[in-house]
Amino acid sequence: MAEIELLNRIKSNPAEFSELFNLYYKPIFGYILRRTGNFDEAADITADTFFKAFQHIKTFSYKGISIKVWLYRIATNELNIYLRQRKKYNSIFDKLDIKDKDLFADYISDDKKEYESELQKHDQFLSVLKGLKTLPIKYQEVISLKYFEGKDNKEIAEILLIKEGTLKSLLSRGLEKLREKCNQI
Amino acid sequence: MEKDEFEKKLFQMTKPEIDQLKHQDMLADAIANSKDKTVLSLWWLIIPLYCIIMFLMKSLFMPSATLSSSIHDLIAKQRFLAYLFFLISPLIFILINIISIRKVYILSGSPKSLNFLRTVWLNVFIIIFSIFILIVYSL
Repeated sequence: MAEIELLNRIKSNPAEFSELFNLYYKPIFGYILRRTGNFDEAADITADTFFKAFQHIKTFSYKGISIKVWLYRIATNELNIYLRQRKKYNSIFDKLDIKDKDLFADYISDDKKEYESELQKHDQFLSVLKGLKTLPIKYQEVISLKYFEGKDNKEIAEILLIKEGTLKSLLSRGLEKLREKCNQI
Repeated sequence: MEKDEFEKKLFQMTKPEIDQLKHQDMLADAIANSKDKTVLSLWWLIIPLYCIIMFLMKSLFMPSATLSSSIHDLIAKQRFLAYLFFLISPLIFILINIISIRKVYILSGSPKSLNFLRTVWLNVFIIIFSIFILIVYSL
């Protein structure tokens, strides 16, 4: 119910979008970061995700899926676009009117240092991610949502707009392929 | 390592977590204050204007020509151009607009039909118009 109220407030006053941003920026950023393993890429894709969400929030209605699932869906879509067109991808930061660009760059730099020291503590995750990145995108997204984000099958199926049966077979095949890759590493 | 054991390992391994992001608030402000500049794109002005001028010129210089007769005239004189205008272009327009509608559907969650139609009415119009051109051409 709280989400519906928030949605209605954003539709009548776009400035209220920052509340939605505060609720979901960190989980979405974390999801993209754990998919890419790269801070700069994650910052760019997450900003793009929220920019798209802001542009389309007026057409979003609370029928069927929650805002959280919707944001994960946009993030997954943006990630796939990025992974397919890495070289052509334009940074969203160039399009946005950020008030104090120097201060923003400093904040990004601080966050990046923080994340890089955090990343060094997770060797096992890094080796799994290395193997995961060599798999086709369809396996990357299901494995990442299931094992990195801890989502259940119903939610993953909603995010990816696929049937639970399809998801189970993707997970099974993907896991097998990832296991083979990780044994090679 | 067996598959089950590997799955257990994936669940149990530690993953990097995000604690605090300093840049978050500034980015939120920038996005909340942004405007969709593409809505005001020059194309929105140029294309309808071009169509209006075409119709005006046609009604001035060729008052008796109907759409159907113009198409058949072009088919008789310029076969290649006719294929391009009345077969290839409408098919491309239909494809592009179906992809565009699908993208809006994904980005909008599962929208109510009225909200959804309000967003994609132009795409639907172009698809209907393209189908109409294809039908007139094939008759």
